[in-house]
Amino acid sequence: MKRESSPWLPWVLLVVALLLLSLHEAGALTHIENVLSYVLSPLERGVATVLDTMGTLTQTARDVRELQQQVTQLQQQNDALIQENIRLRQYEAENQEYRAQLNFARKNPTYSLVGADIINYGCSIYPCGKVVGQDTNPYLRDLLIDVGSRDGIAIGMPVVTGGAAMVGRIAWVAPHLAYVRLINDPQSHIAAMLQQSRITGMVVGTDDGRLIMTEILPDEKISKGETVISSAVGGLLPRGLILGQIAEIAHQESALFQEATLRPALDFRRLETVLVITDFNPPDFQELQGNP
Amino acid sequence: MSLYFGIPILMLAAVLQSVWLEQSLIFGGRPDLPLLLVVTWAIIRGANEGATWGFVGGLFCDTLSGGSFGLWTFTLTAVGFLAGQSWVHALGPTVIRLALMSALGTLVGHALLLGAMAIVGYPVNWLYDLQTVIIPATLLNLVLSPFTFRLLVWFHQRTLPRGSMLG
Repeated sequence: MKRESSPWLPWVLLVVALLLLSLHEAGALTHIENVLSYVLSPLERGVATVLDTMGTLTQTARDVRELQQQVTQLQQQNDALIQENIRLRQYEAENQEYRAQLNFARKNPTYSLVGADIINYGCSIYPCGKVVGQDTNPYLRDLLIDVGSRDGIAIGMPVVTGGAAMVGRIAWVAPHLAYVRLINDPQSHIAAMLQQSRITGMVVGTDDGRLIMTEILPDEKISKGETVISSAVGGLLPRGLILGQIAEIAHQESALFQEATLRPALDFRRLETVLVITDFNPPDFQELQGNP
Repeated sequence: MSLYFGIPILMLAAVLQSVWLEQSLIFGGRPDLPLLLVVTWAIIRGANEGATWGFVGGLFCDTLSGGSFGLWTFTLTAVGFLAGQSWVHALGPTVIRLALMSALGTLVGHALLLGAMAIVGYPVNWLYDLQTVIIPATLLNLVLSPFTFRLLVWFHQRTLPRGSMLG
Protein backbone atom coordinates (compact mmCIF):
# COMPACT_ATOMS: atom_id res chain seq x y z
CA MET A 1 0.00 0.00 0.00
CA LYS A 2 1.20 3.48 -0.81
CA ARG A 3 2.13 5.62 2.18
CA GLU A 4 0.33 8.95 2.24
CA SER A 5 2.81 11.77 1.70
CA SER A 6 0.61 14.58 3.06
CA PRO A 7 -1.55 13.25 5.91
CA TRP A 8 -2.77 16.77 6.71
CA LEU A 9 -4.33 17.31 3.26
CA PRO A 10 -7.77 15.72 3.93
CA TRP A 11 -8.10 17.67 7.18
CA VAL A 12 -7.29 20.92 5.40
CA LEU A 13 -9.84 20.13 2.69
CA LEU A 14 -12.47 19.31 5.33
CA VAL A 15 -11.82 22.60 7.10
CA VAL A 16 -12.02 24.47 3.78
CA ALA A 17 -15.33 22.70 3.00
CA LEU A 18 -16.75 23.76 6.36
CA LEU A 19 -15.44 27.26 5.75
CA LEU A 20 -17.21 27.35 2.38
CA LEU A 21 -20.44 26.29 4.06
CA SER A 22 -20.07 29.01 6.71
CA LEU A 23 -19.20 31.66 4.13
CA HIS A 24 -22.20 30.67 2.02
CA GLU A 25 -24.47 31.04 5.03
CA ALA A 26 -22.91 34.48 5.60
CA GLY A 27 -23.57 35.35 1.94
CA ALA A 28 -19.90 35.90 1.10
CA LEU A 29 -19.45 33.25 -1.58
CA THR A 30 -21.46 34.63 -4.46
CA HIS A 31 -18.48 35.35 -6.72
CA ILE A 32 -16.95 31.88 -6.38
CA GLU A 33 -20.34 30.25 -6.98
CA ASN A 34 -20.84 32.45 -10.04
CA VAL A 35 -17.44 31.51 -11.48
CA LEU A 36 -18.12 27.79 -11.02
CA SER A 37 -21.56 28.19 -12.48
CA TYR A 38 -20.06 30.07 -15.43
CA VAL A 39 -17.86 27.02 -16.12
CA LEU A 40 -20.55 24.40 -15.62
CA SER A 41 -23.57 25.98 -17.28
CA PRO A 42 -22.42 25.47 -20.92
CA LEU A 43 -21.61 21.83 -20.14
CA GLU A 44 -24.97 21.38 -18.44
CA ARG A 45 -26.77 22.84 -21.46
CA GLY A 46 -24.69 20.79 -23.86
CA VAL A 47 -25.26 17.51 -22.05
CA ALA A 48 -28.97 18.29 -21.71
CA THR A 49 -29.15 18.93 -25.46
CA VAL A 50 -27.24 15.72 -26.27
CA LEU A 51 -29.45 13.66 -23.97
CA ASP A 52 -32.55 15.25 -25.47
CA THR A 53 -31.31 14.40 -28.95
CA MET A 54 -30.44 10.84 -27.98
CA GLY A 55 -33.85 10.43 -26.41
CA THR A 56 -35.49 11.56 -29.62
CA LEU A 57 -33.36 9.26 -31.77
CA THR A 58 -34.38 6.21 -29.79
CA GLN A 59 -37.95 6.69 -30.93
CA THR A 60 -37.60 4.41 -33.93
CA ALA A 61 -41.18 4.01 -35.04
CA ARG A 62 -42.17 7.18 -36.87
CA ASP A 63 -45.90 6.55 -36.60
CA VAL A 64 -45.69 6.13 -32.88
CA ARG A 65 -43.76 9.34 -32.63
CA GLU A 66 -46.26 11.26 -34.70
CA LEU A 67 -49.09 9.92 -32.59
CA GLN A 68 -47.23 10.85 -29.45
CA GLN A 69 -46.77 14.36 -30.77
CA GLN A 70 -50.43 14.64 -31.58
CA VAL A 71 -51.38 13.39 -28.13
CA THR A 72 -48.94 15.85 -26.57
CA GLN A 73 -50.36 18.71 -28.62
CA LEU A 74 -53.89 17.77 -27.68
CA GLN A 75 -52.88 17.48 -24.03
CA GLN A 76 -51.26 20.89 -24.19
CA GLN A 77 -54.36 22.35 -25.79
CA ASN A 78 -56.47 20.66 -23.16
CA ASP A 79 -54.22 21.97 -20.38
CA ALA A 80 -54.31 25.46 -21.89
CA LEU A 81 -58.10 25.37 -22.14
CA ILE A 82 -58.45 24.11 -18.57
CA GLN A 83 -56.13 26.82 -17.32
CA GLU A 84 -57.90 29.45 -19.41
CA ASN A 85 -61.19 28.27 -17.99
CA ILE A 86 -59.79 28.56 -14.49
CA ARG A 87 -58.57 32.08 -15.23
CA LEU A 88 -61.95 33.07 -16.62
CA ARG A 89 -63.56 31.80 -13.44
CA GLN A 90 -61.05 33.86 -11.54
CA TYR A 91 -62.12 36.94 -13.52
CA GLU A 92 -65.75 36.10 -12.82
CA ALA A 93 -65.06 35.88 -9.09
CA GLU A 94 -63.11 39.14 -9.18
CA ASN A 95 -65.89 40.75 -11.17
CA GLN A 96 -68.39 39.77 -8.49
CA GLU A 97 -66.08 41.18 -5.86
CA TYR A 98 -65.71 44.47 -7.72
CA ARG A 99 -69.48 44.68 -8.24
CA ALA A 100 -69.95 44.20 -4.51
CA GLN A 101 -67.44 46.98 -3.86
CA LEU A 102 -69.21 49.23 -6.36
CA ASN A 103 -72.51 48.47 -4.71
CA PHE A 104 -70.98 49.39 -1.38
CA ALA A 105 -69.82 52.69 -2.85
CA ARG A 106 -73.28 53.44 -4.23
CA LYS A 107 -74.92 52.66 -0.92
CA ASN A 108 -72.44 54.86 0.94
CA PRO A 109 -72.19 58.00 -1.17
CA THR A 110 -70.78 60.07 1.68
CA TYR A 111 -67.59 57.99 1.90
CA SER A 112 -64.47 58.93 -0.03
CA LEU A 113 -63.14 55.67 -1.46
CA VAL A 114 -59.87 54.88 -3.18
CA GLY A 115 -59.72 51.64 -5.10
CA ALA A 116 -56.62 49.52 -4.64
CA ASP A 117 -55.50 46.08 -5.60
CA ILE A 118 -53.73 44.01 -2.93
CA ILE A 119 -50.72 43.53 -5.09
CA ASN A 120 -49.44 44.51 -8.50
CA TYR A 121 -49.89 41.90 -11.15
CA GLY A 122 -46.74 41.43 -13.19
CA CYS A 123 -47.83 41.23 -16.80
CA SER A 124 -45.53 42.01 -19.67
CA ILE A 125 -42.74 40.10 -21.39
CA TYR A 126 -41.16 37.47 -19.16
CA PRO A 127 -37.87 35.63 -19.63
CA CYS A 128 -38.55 32.12 -20.75
CA GLY A 129 -36.32 29.49 -19.17
CA LYS A 130 -35.71 26.00 -20.42
CA VAL A 131 -35.43 23.35 -17.72
CA VAL A 132 -31.95 21.85 -18.08
CA GLY A 133 -31.61 19.75 -14.94
CA GLN A 134 -32.55 19.02 -11.39
CA ASP A 135 -30.78 19.61 -8.10
CA THR A 136 -27.88 17.25 -7.42
CA ASN A 137 -29.07 17.19 -3.81
CA PRO A 138 -31.82 14.53 -3.75
CA TYR A 139 -33.42 16.10 -0.68
CA LEU A 140 -34.20 19.40 -2.41
CA ARG A 141 -36.86 19.90 -5.06
CA ASP A 142 -35.14 22.41 -7.28
CA LEU A 143 -35.09 22.75 -11.04
CA LEU A 144 -32.24 24.31 -12.96
CA ILE A 145 -33.25 26.65 -15.76
CA ASP A 146 -31.02 28.18 -18.39
CA VAL A 147 -31.65 31.85 -17.62
CA GLY A 148 -29.85 33.75 -14.88
CA SER A 149 -29.01 37.13 -13.46
CA ARG A 150 -27.90 38.34 -16.91
CA ASP A 151 -31.49 37.88 -18.06
CA GLY A 152 -32.83 39.91 -15.15
CA ILE A 153 -33.63 36.97 -12.89
CA ALA A 154 -33.43 37.54 -9.12
CA ILE A 155 -34.10 35.52 -5.99
CA GLY A 156 -37.76 35.25 -5.02
CA MET A 157 -39.23 35.84 -8.48
CA PRO A 158 -42.28 33.68 -9.21
CA VAL A 159 -41.96 31.01 -11.89
CA VAL A 160 -45.03 29.90 -13.82
CA THR A 161 -46.06 27.90 -16.84
CA GLY A 162 -47.69 29.52 -19.87
CA GLY A 163 -51.13 29.03 -18.34
CA ALA A 164 -50.33 30.84 -15.07
CA ALA A 165 -49.90 27.60 -13.12
CA MET A 166 -47.33 28.23 -10.43
CA VAL A 167 -44.11 26.20 -10.61
CA GLY A 168 -42.12 27.76 -7.76
CA ARG A 169 -39.86 30.64 -6.93
CA ILE A 170 -36.25 31.45 -7.75
CA ALA A 171 -34.12 30.12 -4.87
CA TRP A 172 -30.69 31.04 -6.12
CA VAL A 173 -29.36 32.68 -9.24
CA ALA A 174 -26.09 32.54 -11.18
CA PRO A 175 -25.23 34.56 -14.31
CA HIS A 176 -26.49 31.87 -16.72
CA LEU A 177 -28.46 29.53 -14.46
CA ALA A 178 -31.22 29.85 -11.92
CA TYR A 179 -32.60 27.38 -9.39
CA VAL A 180 -36.35 27.18 -9.01
CA ARG A 181 -37.60 25.83 -5.70
CA LEU A 182 -40.79 23.97 -6.55
CA ILE A 183 -43.99 24.66 -4.68
CA ASN A 184 -44.07 21.05 -3.45
CA ASP A 185 -40.74 21.44 -1.62
CA PRO A 186 -41.16 21.17 2.17
CA GLN A 187 -39.68 24.65 2.54
CA SER A 188 -42.29 26.21 0.28
CA HIS A 189 -45.13 28.13 1.99
CA ILE A 190 -47.63 30.01 -0.15
CA ALA A 191 -50.59 32.06 1.04
CA ALA A 192 -53.51 30.68 -0.95
CA MET A 193 -57.26 30.88 -1.36
CA LEU A 194 -59.99 28.93 -3.05
CA GLN A 195 -61.04 30.54 -6.28
CA GLN A 196 -64.82 30.37 -5.87
CA SER A 197 -65.44 30.47 -2.12
CA ARG A 198 -62.43 32.76 -1.39
CA ILE A 199 -61.56 30.64 1.65
CA THR A 200 -57.95 31.27 2.63
CA GLY A 201 -55.17 29.00 3.84
CA MET A 202 -51.55 28.11 3.34
CA VAL A 203 -50.25 25.73 0.67
CA VAL A 204 -47.14 23.83 1.75
CA GLY A 205 -45.06 21.04 0.25
CA THR A 206 -44.44 17.72 1.96
CA ASP A 207 -41.49 15.35 2.14
CA ASP A 208 -43.05 13.03 -0.42
CA GLY A 209 -43.77 15.83 -2.91
CA ARG A 210 -47.47 16.34 -2.24
CA LEU A 211 -49.21 19.70 -1.89
CA ILE A 212 -51.24 20.36 1.24
CA MET A 213 -53.47 23.32 2.00
CA THR A 214 -53.43 23.99 5.73
CA GLU A 215 -54.74 26.60 8.14
CA ILE A 216 -58.29 26.42 6.78
CA LEU A 217 -60.68 27.46 9.54
CA PRO A 218 -62.76 24.53 10.83
CA ASP A 219 -66.14 26.13 10.09
CA GLU A 220 -65.33 26.77 6.42
CA LYS A 221 -67.01 24.50 3.89
CA ILE A 222 -64.66 23.44 1.15
CA SER A 223 -65.52 21.14 -1.69
CA LYS A 224 -63.49 18.74 -3.80
CA GLY A 225 -62.46 19.98 -7.21
CA GLU A 226 -62.32 23.62 -6.22
CA THR A 227 -59.34 25.47 -7.64
CA VAL A 228 -56.68 26.84 -5.32
CA ILE A 229 -54.85 30.03 -6.30
CA SER A 230 -52.24 32.25 -4.70
CA SER A 231 -53.83 34.94 -2.54
CA ALA A 232 -51.05 37.56 -2.50
CA VAL A 233 -51.33 37.86 1.27
CA GLY A 234 -47.84 38.62 2.47
CA GLY A 235 -47.03 40.39 -0.77
CA LEU A 236 -44.41 37.94 -2.02
CA LEU A 237 -46.44 36.60 -4.95
CA PRO A 238 -49.02 37.93 -7.38
CA ARG A 239 -52.62 36.93 -6.80
CA GLY A 240 -54.30 34.36 -9.01
CA LEU A 241 -51.48 31.96 -9.85
CA ILE A 242 -52.95 28.47 -10.05
CA LEU A 243 -51.66 26.05 -7.43
CA GLY A 244 -53.96 23.03 -7.89
CA GLN A 245 -57.36 21.61 -7.12
CA ILE A 246 -58.77 20.22 -3.89
CA ALA A 247 -58.46 16.42 -4.07
CA GLU A 248 -59.08 15.28 -0.47
CA ILE A 249 -60.26 17.00 2.68
CA ALA A 250 -59.23 15.96 6.16
CA HIS A 251 -60.57 17.42 9.37
CA GLN A 252 -60.28 16.00 12.86
CA GLU A 253 -62.57 17.25 15.60
CA SER A 254 -59.65 18.03 17.86
CA ALA A 255 -57.67 19.85 15.17
CA LEU A 256 -57.59 23.63 15.05
CA PHE A 257 -57.67 23.75 11.26
CA GLN A 258 -58.88 21.73 8.32
CA GLU A 259 -56.38 20.34 5.88
CA ALA A 260 -56.78 19.47 2.22
CA THR A 261 -54.60 17.58 -0.20
CA LEU A 262 -54.22 19.27 -3.59
CA ARG A 263 -53.99 17.78 -7.03
CA PRO A 264 -51.18 19.85 -8.61
CA ALA A 265 -52.03 21.90 -11.69
CA LEU A 266 -49.01 20.49 -13.53
CA ASP A 267 -46.67 17.53 -13.61
CA PHE A 268 -43.40 18.86 -12.18
CA ARG A 269 -41.37 16.04 -13.72
CA ARG A 270 -42.46 16.91 -17.25
CA LEU A 271 -41.71 20.58 -17.25
CA GLU A 272 -39.67 21.69 -20.22
CA THR A 273 -40.14 25.44 -20.39
CA VAL A 274 -41.14 27.90 -17.71
CA LEU A 275 -41.68 31.63 -17.45
CA VAL A 276 -40.17 33.86 -14.79
CA ILE A 277 -42.20 36.89 -13.73
CA THR A 278 -39.56 39.59 -13.44
CA ASP A 279 -41.68 42.70 -13.12
CA PHE A 280 -43.65 41.69 -10.07
CA ASN A 281 -42.77 44.23 -7.40
CA PRO A 282 -43.41 43.09 -3.85
CA PRO A 283 -44.57 45.93 -1.60
CA ASP A 284 -41.88 47.75 0.33
CA PHE A 285 -42.64 46.78 3.91
CA GLN A 286 -39.89 49.06 5.18
CA GLU A 287 -42.19 51.98 4.38
CA LEU A 288 -44.62 50.67 6.96
CA GLN A 289 -42.01 50.50 9.69
CA GLY A 290 -41.74 54.26 9.93
CA ASN A 291 -45.47 54.69 10.48
CA PRO A 292 -47.29 53.90 13.72
CA MET B 1 -1.95 13.77 -8.38
CA SER B 2 -4.76 12.63 -10.64
CA LEU B 3 -6.80 15.79 -10.94
CA TYR B 4 -6.02 16.45 -14.58
CA PHE B 5 -8.44 13.70 -15.51
CA GLY B 6 -10.33 13.73 -12.20
CA ILE B 7 -11.70 17.23 -12.79
CA PRO B 8 -13.37 16.45 -16.15
CA ILE B 9 -14.65 13.10 -14.87
CA LEU B 10 -16.16 14.63 -11.75
CA MET B 11 -17.55 17.59 -13.68
CA LEU B 12 -19.24 15.27 -16.16
CA ALA B 13 -20.52 13.07 -13.33
CA ALA B 14 -22.11 16.05 -11.56
CA VAL B 15 -23.72 17.26 -14.79
CA LEU B 16 -25.01 13.77 -15.62
CA GLN B 17 -26.38 13.49 -12.08
CA SER B 18 -28.27 16.76 -12.55
CA VAL B 19 -29.41 16.35 -16.15
CA TRP B 20 -30.07 12.63 -16.31
CA LEU B 21 -29.88 10.59 -13.10
CA GLU B 22 -31.93 12.89 -10.88
CA GLN B 23 -34.76 12.71 -13.40
CA SER B 24 -34.76 8.95 -13.90
CA LEU B 25 -35.97 6.45 -11.36
CA ILE B 26 -34.22 3.06 -11.44
CA PHE B 27 -35.99 0.49 -9.27
CA GLY B 28 -37.54 3.30 -7.29
CA GLY B 29 -34.29 5.15 -6.60
CA ARG B 30 -31.39 7.05 -8.07
CA PRO B 31 -27.71 6.18 -8.02
CA ASP B 32 -25.28 8.77 -6.77
CA LEU B 33 -22.56 8.89 -9.40
CA PRO B 34 -20.19 11.56 -7.98
CA LEU B 35 -20.28 9.89 -4.56
CA LEU B 36 -19.62 6.48 -6.07
CA LEU B 37 -16.66 7.77 -8.07
CA VAL B 38 -15.16 9.41 -4.99
CA VAL B 39 -15.52 6.24 -2.89
CA THR B 40 -14.08 4.07 -5.65
CA TRP B 41 -11.11 6.37 -6.22
CA ALA B 42 -10.45 6.50 -2.47
CA ILE B 43 -10.37 2.69 -2.33
CA ILE B 44 -7.92 2.62 -5.23
CA ARG B 45 -5.67 5.51 -4.28
CA GLY B 46 -6.09 6.18 -0.56
CA ALA B 47 -7.39 8.91 1.73
CA ASN B 48 -5.51 11.88 0.29
CA GLU B 49 -6.68 11.44 -3.26
CA GLY B 50 -10.12 10.31 -2.09
CA ALA B 51 -10.55 13.51 -0.11
CA THR B 52 -9.21 15.61 -3.00
CA TRP B 53 -11.62 14.02 -5.46
CA GLY B 54 -14.38 14.46 -2.89
CA PHE B 55 -13.56 18.14 -2.54
CA VAL B 56 -13.53 18.77 -6.30
CA GLY B 57 -16.62 16.64 -6.95
CA GLY B 58 -18.39 18.37 -4.09
CA LEU B 59 -17.67 21.79 -5.59
CA PHE B 60 -19.30 20.72 -8.87
CA CYS B 61 -22.28 19.16 -7.11
CA ASP B 62 -22.75 22.27 -4.99
CA THR B 63 -22.66 24.42 -8.11
CA LEU B 64 -25.54 22.41 -9.56
CA SER B 65 -27.54 22.55 -6.37
CA GLY B 66 -29.80 25.26 -5.02
CA GLY B 67 -28.91 24.26 -1.46
CA SER B 68 -26.22 25.79 0.70
CA PHE B 69 -22.86 25.83 -1.05
CA GLY B 70 -20.48 23.52 0.79
CA LEU B 71 -22.93 20.78 1.77
CA TRP B 72 -21.74 18.43 -0.96
CA THR B 73 -18.13 19.58 -0.68
CA PHE B 74 -18.01 18.71 3.01
CA THR B 75 -19.87 15.43 2.52
CA LEU B 76 -17.83 14.09 -0.39
CA THR B 77 -14.51 15.20 1.14
CA ALA B 78 -15.37 13.35 4.36
CA VAL B 79 -16.53 10.24 2.48
CA GLY B 80 -13.41 10.19 0.30
CA PHE B 81 -11.26 10.54 3.39
CA LEU B 82 -13.05 7.74 5.26
CA ALA B 83 -13.17 5.33 2.31
CA GLY B 84 -9.44 5.73 1.75
CA GLN B 85 -8.38 4.83 5.28
CA SER B 86 -5.75 2.13 5.65
CA TRP B 87 -8.04 -0.12 7.75
CA VAL B 88 -10.24 -0.56 4.68
CA HIS B 89 -7.47 -2.67 3.16
CA ALA B 90 -7.90 -5.17 6.00
CA LEU B 91 -11.49 -5.88 4.97
CA GLY B 92 -10.46 -8.48 2.42
CA PRO B 93 -9.95 -8.73 -1.30
CA THR B 94 -10.68 -5.79 -3.57
CA VAL B 95 -14.14 -7.06 -4.56
CA ILE B 96 -15.28 -7.27 -0.93
CA ARG B 97 -13.75 -3.90 -0.09
CA LEU B 98 -15.42 -2.32 -3.08
CA ALA B 99 -18.84 -3.78 -2.28
CA LEU B 100 -18.64 -2.89 1.42
CA MET B 101 -17.28 0.59 0.93
CA SER B 102 -19.56 1.60 -1.94
CA ALA B 103 -22.56 0.65 0.20
CA LEU B 104 -21.16 2.00 3.47
CA GLY B 105 -19.80 5.11 1.76
CA THR B 106 -23.21 5.90 0.28
CA LEU B 107 -24.92 5.37 3.63
CA VAL B 108 -22.39 7.49 5.50
CA GLY B 109 -22.35 10.12 2.75
CA HIS B 110 -26.11 10.61 2.78
CA ALA B 111 -26.15 10.58 6.59
CA LEU B 112 -23.49 13.31 6.62
CA LEU B 113 -25.36 15.31 3.98
CA LEU B 114 -28.63 15.11 5.90
CA GLY B 115 -26.86 15.89 9.17
CA ALA B 116 -25.22 18.97 7.65
CA MET B 117 -28.55 20.04 6.14
CA ALA B 118 -30.25 19.67 9.52
CA ILE B 119 -27.54 21.76 11.18
CA VAL B 120 -27.82 24.47 8.52
CA GLY B 121 -31.59 24.57 9.05
CA TYR B 122 -33.25 22.47 6.36
CA PRO B 123 -36.20 20.33 7.42
CA VAL B 124 -35.05 16.69 7.44
CA ASN B 125 -37.26 13.61 7.69
CA TRP B 126 -34.72 10.88 8.44
CA LEU B 127 -37.00 7.86 8.21
CA TYR B 128 -38.68 8.94 4.99
CA ASP B 129 -35.34 9.88 3.39
CA LEU B 130 -33.83 6.57 4.47
CA GLN B 131 -36.62 4.63 2.77
CA THR B 132 -36.98 6.67 -0.39
CA VAL B 133 -33.48 7.97 -1.12
CA ILE B 134 -30.69 6.43 0.95
CA ILE B 135 -31.47 2.70 0.70
CA PRO B 136 -32.22 2.76 -3.05
CA ALA B 137 -29.09 4.85 -3.70
CA THR B 138 -27.01 2.46 -1.59
CA LEU B 139 -28.24 -0.59 -3.48
CA LEU B 140 -27.83 1.05 -6.88
CA ASN B 141 -24.32 2.26 -6.05
CA LEU B 142 -23.48 -1.28 -4.93
CA VAL B 143 -24.66 -2.63 -8.29
CA LEU B 144 -22.84 0.06 -10.27
CA SER B 145 -19.58 -0.11 -8.30
CA PRO B 146 -17.89 -2.79 -10.48
CA PHE B 147 -18.37 -0.59 -13.55
CA THR B 148 -16.96 2.56 -11.95
CA PHE B 149 -14.15 0.45 -10.48
CA ARG B 150 -13.12 -0.87 -13.88
CA LEU B 151 -13.26 2.61 -15.35
CA LEU B 152 -11.18 4.17 -12.60
CA VAL B 153 -8.67 1.31 -12.48
CA TRP B 154 -8.07 1.99 -16.17
CA PHE B 155 -7.22 5.60 -15.32
CA HIS B 156 -5.28 4.53 -12.24
CA GLN B 157 -3.02 2.22 -14.22
CA ARG B 158 -2.21 5.02 -16.63
CA THR B 159 -1.17 7.36 -13.83
CA LEU B 160 0.84 4.88 -11.75
CA PRO B 161 4.60 5.25 -11.48
CA ARG B 162 6.40 2.59 -13.57
CA GLY B 163 6.63 -0.78 -11.73
CA SER B 164 3.77 -0.12 -9.27
CA MET B 165 1.04 -2.73 -8.67
CA LEU B 166 -2.64 -2.36 -7.86
CA GLY B 167 -3.22 -3.15 -4.17
